[in-house]
Amino acid sequence: MMAGIWVVAEHADTALELLTPARQVADSLGGPVVAVWLGRQEAPPLFAHGADEVLVCTHGGDDQPLEAQVPVLVAEALQAQPEAILVGASLRGREVAARMAAALGTGLGSSCVALRVRTDGLVEMDRLVFGGRAVQTVVCTTRPQMATVAPRTFSPAPPVEGRSGTVRTLPAPPPSPVTVVERKPKPAVSGDVAGARVVVCVGRGMEREEDLEMARRLADILGGEVGCTRPIAEEYHWLPEHTYIGLSGQQVKPELYIGIGVSGQIQHVIGITDARVIVAINRDEKAPIFEMSDFGIVGDLYQVVPRLVDELTRALGK
Amino acid sequence: MPDIITCFKWAVDEADIRPQASGEVALDRVGYKISEYDRNALEAAAQLKEAHGGSVTAITVATPAAKKGLKDALSRGPDRACFVNDAAFDALEPAQTAALLAGVIRDRLPFDLILCGEGSSDLYAQQVGPRLAQELGIPCVTYVNRITLEGSTLLAERKLEDGIEVVKVELPALVTVLPDINTPRIPGLKDTLEASKKPVQSVGPGEAGGEFPARLQTVALRATSMERRCVRFPADDAGIRELVEALRKSGAIG
Repeated sequence: MMAGIWVVAEHADTALELLTPARQVADSLGGPVVAVWLGRQEAPPLFAHGADEVLVCTHGGDDQPLEAQVPVLVAEALQAQPEAILVGASLRGREVAARMAAALGTGLGSSCVALRVRTDGLVEMDRLVFGGRAVQTVVCTTRPQMATVAPRTFSPAPPVEGRSGTVRTLPAPPPSPVTVVERKPKPAVSGDVAGARVVVCVGRGMEREEDLEMARRLADILGGEVGCTRPIAEEYHWLPEHTYIGLSGQQVKPELYIGIGVSGQIQHVIGITDARVIVAINRDEKAPIFEMSDFGIVGDLYQVVPRLVDELTRALGK
Repeated sequence: MPDIITCFKWAVDEADIRPQASGEVALDRVGYKISEYDRNALEAAAQLKEAHGGSVTAITVATPAAKKGLKDALSRGPDRACFVNDAAFDALEPAQTAALLAGVIRDRLPFDLILCGEGSSDLYAQQVGPRLAQELGIPCVTYVNRITLEGSTLLAERKLEDGIEVVKVELPALVTVLPDINTPRIPGLKDTLEASKKPVQSVGPGEAGGEFPARLQTVALRATSMERRCVRFPADDAGIRELVEALRKSGAIG
């Protein structure tokens, strides 16, 4: 008897999100849902959101990286023999999962965007490959079946009142050969493109940095945030890196995405596939973005956007 | 003076990926290239050698058809290459690649530092580096955009979601690098000529030793589907009003 489904995460949001597929897999394959809390902060209410058992890591001093927990997790997994392990695909989570999979002699589906349990008990995992041009579906033929799952792939598991369970504290890991000598946290950032309900995205069709103001006005009137394509952040440095959307940047899931001067390179579009409504405004009628938009206007953004702002102001009564 | 191994993948050029009518993706008519991120690893190795001396060995695991990639890799700075090849190595999953690399490195290639790209530009599983470190039992530092060597101590800056983490590790160790660690050199004619004179050690079928079973099986490979309504409005006042009305009807605005 394999013992349940593990969820391993260092961030509270991801932990609660992973409890959603974990519950589905556990319902099909049986066994408890075990949440392994990797974070240094206090664990979120994991029982309320569906965990049957919670394992909490014991962290060493500030000089110990999170990845120091790998040997503890491996030992615990060898003991408990879980059927499947889902790991939050933060960058640290990806290293932790790959090293665990190597130590456990098992396979790992990386940065999965969908999971389905087959009747034979194998979990089909979808992942994006070839710069977002294709979806690869894999199954893990050894146990535990392992996957890393990107943040915001699933909705958080709903809370249920009155659920509780046992918390077990895992032993402290041996000292890590890799030690942290300094942490330079990112400055606190205003605006959260990834979580925004409306995203106005600026592409290379915008000619000057000061024209960003136009995008901000459009975002403000819709209660949204301004994001951009990679070159705007990495080449022009007009907007901070955390606002660029795409395969290597943010994955967004807004109700409404408006691309202004965005051509629609696949590396960018892959970050907006989950937007509910996509609008494109671009001068080039052959721009690929129009093929992936719900609504499009072929025209000069400098003409169209100010008039769109006026029309929205009127329509929304602002 | 460090002996450096830099791993590279002869990867499918993603620009050649075209869906067939069925939606499946065929890989029989695609070009190959050195995986983008591995070019950064090759460059990082070359720069470390320029600064500290030592040696650089490039290694790849592939089918014999990847022979073309060796010269390309060698024109980017390494002193020699190790070519682990077998016709059966055409669709390896990361666990197999890492186990093969580990077997060959353990038996044949002394090293102080192993450099890998953070992932491959085709499948981007980001597993081979950390798996290889785990197989070899050496420390692993991932997602690095700056490396400093002081004797046998390596300092690395990891660029993570919450900021920069500066870490220290004693060699031997494995490091995976990010694309912004450097700008890979473009090999010139002289580099290409020199590359053809550099030694290549071939580890042929059956010589890698051990078993390397696949633990991950690909059951489908399909083109990404992005079907949308594709309604267009004219770029005049009437068109903009229609757009706003369409947004309202679809519930995208209040």
